[in-house]
Amino acid sequence: MIRTTAVPRPVRAGAAFVGVLGMVALAGCAGTTTPAADAEETTPATTAPSSSATTDSGTDTGSVVGSAYTDGTYTAEGSYSTPESVETIEVTITLESDVVTAVEVTGDPQAAESQRYQSQFIGGISDEVVGQLVDDVSVSRVAGSSLTSGGFNKALQTIKSEAAA
Amino acid sequence: MSTTTPTRAVWSFEAIGTVWSIETDAPLGPGIRRDVETAVAAFDRDWSRFRDDSVVARLAGGGGSAPVPPDAAAMLDVYVELDAATRGAVNPLVGDSLARLGYDARYSLVAQGDPIAAPERWRDIVRWDAGTLAVTAPATIDVGALGKGRLVDLVTGVVSRGIDGGFVVDGGGDLAVRGTPQRIGLEHPYDPRRVIGVVTVADAALCASAVTRRAWGEGLHHVLDARTGVPVRAYAATWAIAPDAMHADALATALFFDGGPELAASWGAHWVRMRTDGRVEWSPGSEAELFT
Repeated sequence: MIRTTAVPRPVRAGAAFVGVLGMVALAGCAGTTTPAADAEETTPATTAPSSSATTDSGTDTGSVVGSAYTDGTYTAEGSYSTPESVETIEVTITLESDVVTAVEVTGDPQAAESQRYQSQFIGGISDEVVGQLVDDVSVSRVAGSSLTSGGFNKALQTIKSEAAA
Repeated sequence: MSTTTPTRAVWSFEAIGTVWSIETDAPLGPGIRRDVETAVAAFDRDWSRFRDDSVVARLAGGGGSAPVPPDAAAMLDVYVELDAATRGAVNPLVGDSLARLGYDARYSLVAQGDPIAAPERWRDIVRWDAGTLAVTAPATIDVGALGKGRLVDLVTGVVSRGIDGGFVVDGGGDLAVRGTPQRIGLEHPYDPRRVIGVVTVADAALCASAVTRRAWGEGLHHVLDARTGVPVRAYAATWAIAPDAMHADALATALFFDGGPELAASWGAHWVRMRTDGRVEWSPGSEAELFT
């Protein structure tokens, strides 16, 4: 999975990334490599011609021996059509040893794109989210399901031990 | 878990079936603590389904009426909205449906039979006005969809009347922030070591709900579809941000169902929810940072 760093709409940006993926012609590479889950956010893009990233892309099967691409940060501008409009976005990809280590999407494929999702009331839907370890994230607290009380826990423990007997 | 403000004082206690903490710049004095405990005890005495002497337990016995508890109208009015938005999935008479699956006053945690739906026409059964709360047929009120949020608001009111600085009231998943904004991790429902994202909450409430912890058997957990009495299966966890915790809590419940996002939009609230297949949805314009 590619971690996008476009906040606050990372996944919508991710969908947009797919839209221009063919244009920067990294589809074969991106589809078969696994970027480090804790990839650092991209530093501001040093713009390189997108054509420099497109060589040999057609034959890339993912079982790369040696390096098919030159390490670096690549930026491309792309557009794609939605029912209402043509959206323009800029995509920056960082490559290290043929692995996409960072993707940044700027531009805001706003309302028109969200129409593709279930309804105007849902901003977007991501692929399965793995998340990050709490220890790796700076937060003051965590919110999830409420902790259960001693009474509930004790009862649950009793049920479990009876079930195991 | 890392703490950005390690010098703050934290007071923890157990109440209404979960663990609470109140974080302040300086330790809370005994007077405020006593006021908090009084507010919690009064709420529990009115609304707990887990004690025989509460108002809702006495009303469940075969109908009847009682002097209206102070939070009845505020909460039941929101239930009317929840009911309409979710087309009956959220209903304050879900208590007997929960008990049927084992989530009863004795925590038997063993299903007593097939699921039972909550009475669909609950507004004909539950009556409230300025003086009286009545339940006109055998049925058990359970304000679990928003009650904890309401109590977070009550406790927040007590604390804000007692101290000047900022603070956080955390009712175990439902929390209110005053003063210093807080970066809050969204706990992964399947792996409490992980968070799926971070939101910053400032002078607002964030309420979370998940089907994974308050669960006691295969497919048995505390979030039911009142129309069937069956635990929900499409969504695993929800988070909602609203100006007050009662509305955030209500949304965290509604977001397990169709209609939740529409209700959030009508209240101007933001949210995130995770499907049971691990995919995540969020509100339009959500500022949550999600680790997708």
